[in-house]
Amino acid sequence: MVFVILYFALLLLLSCGAAYYNQRSAFLLLFSLTLVSLVLAIIGGIPALRFVAIAAGMLLAAGMMSYAFREFLTALASDEMAKELRTAPLTAAFGMFVIFIVAVMGIFAPAIAPHGEAEIISQAFAPPDNNMLLGADQLGRDMFSRIIYGARNTVALALCGTVLAFILGAMAGLLAATKGGFFDGTMGRIADVIMSIPSLIFALLMLSIFGGSLAAPSTSAWLLFGFAVIVGTLFLAAAAYSVLSWIIGAAIVVGVSFAFALAFTSVFDASEVILILVVAVIYSPRVFRLTRAVAGNVVVMDYIEAAKLRGEKNWYLIRREILPNSTAPLVAEFGLEFCFVFLLIAGLSFLGLGIQPPTADWGSMVRENATLISFGEITPLIPAAAIALLTVAVNFVVDWMLHRSSGLKE
Amino acid sequence: MSLKKTDVLLKIRDLKIQGYSDETWVDIIKGVDLTLHRGEVMGLIGESGAGKSTIGAAAMGYARDGTRIVEGSSIEFDGIELTTSTEGEKRALRGSRIAYVAQSAAASFNPAHKLIDQHTEAPVQYRIKKRLEAQEDAIELYERLRLPNPGEIGFRYPHQVSGGQLQRAMTAMAMSCRPDLIIFDEPTTALDVTTQIEVLAAIRDIVDQFNTAAIYITHDLAVVAQMADTIKVLLKGEEVEEAPTDQMLENPQEDYTKSLWAVRSFTSPQKHRPTDGTPPLISVKNVDASYSNGPKILDDVSFDIYEGMTVAVVGESGSGKSTTARVITGLLPPSEGEVLFKGEPFPAYYKDRSKDQLRQCQMIYQMADTALNPKVQISEIIGRPAQFYSGLKGTALKTRVDELLDLIELEPSKYYNRYPPELSGGQKQRIGIARALAAEPSFIVCDEVTSALDQLVAEGILRLLDRLQNELNLAYMFITHDLATVRSIADEVVVMQNGQVVEQGPKDDMFTPPHHPYTDLLLSSVPEMDPNWLTTLLEERGVDNIGDAAAAKIDPDDDKVEGTQA
Repeated sequence: MVFVILYFALLLLLSCGAAYYNQRSAFLLLFSLTLVSLVLAIIGGIPALRFVAIAAGMLLAAGMMSYAFREFLTALASDEMAKELRTAPLTAAFGMFVIFIVAVMGIFAPAIAPHGEAEIISQAFAPPDNNMLLGADQLGRDMFSRIIYGARNTVALALCGTVLAFILGAMAGLLAATKGGFFDGTMGRIADVIMSIPSLIFALLMLSIFGGSLAAPSTSAWLLFGFAVIVGTLFLAAAAYSVLSWIIGAAIVVGVSFAFALAFTSVFDASEVILILVVAVIYSPRVFRLTRAVAGNVVVMDYIEAAKLRGEKNWYLIRREILPNSTAPLVAEFGLEFCFVFLLIAGLSFLGLGIQPPTADWGSMVRENATLISFGEITPLIPAAAIALLTVAVNFVVDWMLHRSSGLKE
Repeated sequence: MSLKKTDVLLKIRDLKIQGYSDETWVDIIKGVDLTLHRGEVMGLIGESGAGKSTIGAAAMGYARDGTRIVEGSSIEFDGIELTTSTEGEKRALRGSRIAYVAQSAAASFNPAHKLIDQHTEAPVQYRIKKRLEAQEDAIELYERLRLPNPGEIGFRYPHQVSGGQLQRAMTAMAMSCRPDLIIFDEPTTALDVTTQIEVLAAIRDIVDQFNTAAIYITHDLAVVAQMADTIKVLLKGEEVEEAPTDQMLENPQEDYTKSLWAVRSFTSPQKHRPTDGTPPLISVKNVDASYSNGPKILDDVSFDIYEGMTVAVVGESGSGKSTTARVITGLLPPSEGEVLFKGEPFPAYYKDRSKDQLRQCQMIYQMADTALNPKVQISEIIGRPAQFYSGLKGTALKTRVDELLDLIELEPSKYYNRYPPELSGGQKQRIGIARALAAEPSFIVCDEVTSALDQLVAEGILRLLDRLQNELNLAYMFITHDLATVRSIADEVVVMQNGQVVEQGPKDDMFTPPHHPYTDLLLSSVPEMDPNWLTTLLEERGVDNIGDAAAAKIDPDDDKVEGTQA
């Protein structure tokens, strides 16, 4: 009863204050909330009001957190960055905050998590207690620890996949825009072929051939090597201008690719490597198309003509003239693609083809605990919420970057 | 064109407009007063950044994104205070009582709708006329504006109509609701002289016929002299002076106004071809060219450029001036003929040329905005050619860049680390010149280098180019459609029409009659500072014998044509 009185008193006081100080939009918001609350109180009683109050409180907390985080970044950053940050909307600050938290979670996972990701410490589906903040999963592993490890595994895979997709797609796109003609046409048709196969089905197909629990380390290393050689050849096509440079370049490419494959396979296990490669191949055509379109607009500018007339080679054109003018949309696209890749990996894990147990991963955690839903428990929704939160956060930041890059064109 | 003493239509008092930049509000317009009577045409002139367009927009009660009208300013349109009226009230005025004609009609028409549909939108929207009535009215307006085929032209899409005709169609559109006030924002700046004159004549007539008041914004003094009853000169958001046109032209009071008037006085002394038989630096020999099997753009073009001389190539757009430049630089290999450099043939395609051959021939572009990479520092833009051709590195490179910045009269320490978007139009063009000079060329193609600039700035660029020519013995190929520029800087002139050279010779000869009729048309279409120039010209030539119509009428068998084509 006291809560209800306090609740309405606060709302009325605030709306009267807003009206008195001529804050039109704030007043409208507050007073309509008051009216809605009246109806809610009649239908839902005190629990409904409590829910509204908690939701409003959380929104307020998130807002204050984002504001403080933005001020914090502004204070830390250099002058130029600080100016950009100060004009960033609160949503972007919120996004950066969430990304920051997830990054910390992922990097310091072993230090933060109270238990190991594969450690069975209690009964299956044990309720939350002092030891396990979020309870246990279907095998009795700590849910909270697994979420923290999941941040590390899922995000790292998604990041690697997106980066590889970008290196391949962006390089091919830049080259296609610069060279044009036959090369452009061929790359375009290859991209069309990959894009014409539905991505989920393509991923399932590739993963059931190479991946899953059957993945052999040697296959994954060879595939990685092949991927690196393709990317290297693209770089070579841009940079080399004589037979000798082609030969030297080819030797360097093979060497670098080999080292790259070795390094990658030592960090990730075979099934993860396959997953990353599949993601890179599926998403690179989209990056290719965007890059080609953006670079196509830059290539027709007079300064490119001036550089060509100077006798500059393709590599200089791409590196110094075209790339700096295409970064803004590419960075925004990177954020967007990262979300899609992240969701694809989560989806594949949910289907059992992605990250292999017992490695913790948000997507498979949803699946493993799905049965709990029918008992009215929210445990399986927590990893799902984590996926949603990170996706939304990344999109907030991307929106801001898109706005910035379009604003610069004025 | 006498001042009509009627009641006041637009009264602007103490107009202040601020723009948001670097997190503070900066004054753009610093308290301008303006009074416009019914039927009066006021010309607003000044260099870019003077706030002409901002005042034009403010006359409609509009402030662009990122700008705001400061409280205390008053804009009173026919008794309605626009600064305090609501958005809805202002919207009701725009289009029906105040109309706007933009600089680029091609960019301002919606390419997805027919002209007449866009024309009738306002009267139908404001319920002034039914659609069919509005269409009839549109056709009548097209007729008054002397558009060809008035009954049919409105049913075309914007891309099917030429630039000058579009500009007239836009004027007709502005007239569709018979507004009390039209704001012309540089309506002829993007047009050729021959096309400009048609648009000017049409605008002047129609404004006169309907007794519409107008604000005419331009940076071309000669144009404003034809159009306006009164002229207001602006500088950096402040009024310099205002006076009736005659008085303003004859007796400007302020120093700034006098300097504007004096701009066209610059001329460089004419040089003559060397007589000792040295081969020309660049020689274009019987060149034909076309884009990917399309129609011939260049037809048997030949001319020579000697060391240290300036050859101006003039002609309206589409005459093949820029294509000739592309052939010389090697971007477009000719289908017939060749280009010689000091008597030696130049490889036709730029990729086949050696580094030294590429170095010899540099280019300066019309739009400095697109010619300089916005994401690269000035030091690299200028330094790259020096590094690329001469292999300079480290301190030597920095010294060279400083030297070049000095040469183009920009303070090296101040501009070394800047990016192109932080510079003004004239400064950007100077950087473009420095980039060309960095290669140490013997020949520079200047493609309309001054046409995007204000007269004062343009004159500075011309003086700079002239000085550099004398110091470094450069040859210029100067592509332009502005004959005033030709008069001031050229040594020889080549006149082009439809991809052919119609006349060429030393400047002095070219500016003395008899001319080829096309040259004559070009020359006579350049606006002069005399306020009666347009009236006199129209009387002499007749309203239907100007612009495209006149160019089409040139008789190929005319004596003078035969005589000058030798």
